[in-house]
Amino acid sequence: MTWLIWRQHRAEVCVLGLLVGLFGVVLVGLGTQAHDLFPGGPARCAGEAGVNDACAASFRRLDEEYGYVENLLAAFYLVPVVIGAFLGAPLLARELEDGTWQLAWTQAVPRTRWLAAKLAALAGVTVALTGTFTAVLTWFRQPFDAWEGRFQYDAFDLEGLVPVAYALFAFGVATAAGAILRRSLPAFGVAFGAFLAARMSVALLARPAYARPLTAMEPVPAGGSADRAGHLPSFADWVIERGYADATGRRLSGAEYDELAAAADRAGSNLNQFLHARGVQRFGVYHPADRFWTFQLIETALFLAVAAVLIGVVVWRVRRRTI
Amino acid sequence: MTATGFALRTDGVGKRYRKGWALRDCTLDLPAGGVIALVGPNGAGKTTLLRLVVGLLAPSTGTVEVLGHDVADSTPQTLSRVGFLAQDHPLYRRFTVAEMLRFGRSCNLRFDQELAERRLAKRGIPLDRRAGTLSGGQQAQVALALALAKRPDLLVLDEPVASLDPLARHEFMQVLMGAVAEDGVTVLFSSHVVHELERVCDHLVVLDQGRVTLTGDIDTLLAEHRLLVGPRTTHDLDRSAAVVEAVHSDRHTTLLVRDGGLPAAPGWQARPVALEDLVLAYLRRSSEPSATVPSGVAA
Repeated sequence: MTWLIWRQHRAEVCVLGLLVGLFGVVLVGLGTQAHDLFPGGPARCAGEAGVNDACAASFRRLDEEYGYVENLLAAFYLVPVVIGAFLGAPLLARELEDGTWQLAWTQAVPRTRWLAAKLAALAGVTVALTGTFTAVLTWFRQPFDAWEGRFQYDAFDLEGLVPVAYALFAFGVATAAGAILRRSLPAFGVAFGAFLAARMSVALLARPAYARPLTAMEPVPAGGSADRAGHLPSFADWVIERGYADATGRRLSGAEYDELAAAADRAGSNLNQFLHARGVQRFGVYHPADRFWTFQLIETALFLAVAAVLIGVVVWRVRRRTI
Repeated sequence: MTATGFALRTDGVGKRYRKGWALRDCTLDLPAGGVIALVGPNGAGKTTLLRLVVGLLAPSTGTVEVLGHDVADSTPQTLSRVGFLAQDHPLYRRFTVAEMLRFGRSCNLRFDQELAERRLAKRGIPLDRRAGTLSGGQQAQVALALALAKRPDLLVLDEPVASLDPLARHEFMQVLMGAVAEDGVTVLFSSHVVHELERVCDHLVVLDQGRVTLTGDIDTLLAEHRLLVGPRTTHDLDRSAAVVEAVHSDRHTTLLVRDGGLPAAPGWQARPVALEDLVLAYLRRSSEPSATVPSGVAA
């Protein structure tokens, strides 16, 4: 079986391995230079951009010289689906579209064992490739994380455990779609669509609700401009909502705030002083940075559970002998 | 290998797809040894029945027993006793012929590599060619060599020669019958062509619209059936289970009867029936099931 699986899937494995290797090497090269900007390691500068001159200089250079790479990393959101769906889609679909399932399942290897071996091997490759790539990417982002935290979408979705879970989810969708549609390419398309839909809805709707967010509130300071408002939550926290509240803590709507701003304008006074005088407070709703791993685990469990259900459906279909 | 005993027993087997029943109430007892032909028009349920036999499909009703084992609990041991050649003999197109053999070796308990290589060499099929680049006839030979290298007790083939040209068809049947003679493997194959079956087969199953309409040893079937030709009889007809089909021309009526060779009524001539005509008569009958018979002509 080992030889057969390798012979049948070596093309996909090699192409994906090559791509992961290529991007990995580039990231390691660029990342080494970026890390070198921080003599004591990027972690030491975390949160000190405004305090420590050396760190501020390092961050400025990081932004100037490697900021573009960070923007390009957005494309790597798709790495898990490319790996997972590319390996999962042909697993059953190719056998079904070529008719070779009739060959494969009439040898002396019972079909459930055949399926278990294939699923284990290809899911293993999915985990290995995505895991390796994520490890490199997580390391690469260390300087950027020291600056911006790792709770924003451009860090959280690329780091830690979740990319592997995303990849296994894509693998599960692609395999199940391949079993049902009996064609590789449509199965890949379905996996791609499902991946985008699931990832977006989970990140935007479900993730903020993994835990009860905290709310911080403080009076508007009299000095300073409105733009340069200090961070209520720390830089590494994940802020879900910001706004203004009146003296009693009731949140102000946009219209109410605009009215106040207009009133300040008419009075010819500084906006912050105007708000401060009326006891207006700023608030931030956020998840503190130390929830990062909790959130990672929750999201990983979520996607793994769906992947497990999908794989279960595939196993059930094949066992039932109705294909 | 058991010369006595059953290669295949089905009991009330039915298979329903979403569109409806492909096979209904199929009960068969097919002996081990020899060649069994499964005949029927396209869409009769032949592929469904064969897939049930090799365990690719599970029956909706009834049980399938192959070589004394229920197909539902297939183990490597039971799987390795049955070889299967699916319709259009699928192969892994990007595998070389040698890799196809390696596939067979790695997925089977026993695999006679030498035998397979010898068979392929005899047909001049190079081992380093990709399976997808071979001609249809060569692909069929590779698939057959692969199935025979398992040294199965039962070899099941679904329309093995339907897609082949006459020469490739002849060569294929030659190899297949050679294997039957050498190894004593029981062969069950389906065909929608009735032609030439008599020469090759020992046992016959006729399937039509998902039901078995005729089954039996071919020699016995031919001995039991005969044609009766007599003056045209259009009135005074009676139904009889013995009459399979009545055909009327201007002057004559020809009856196909299954009466075991009773003496014919006066004025009627008895003639043996060819297997092809026999099969066709049964297929025609199942599409219009009310056969009418002159009384006193057939017992």
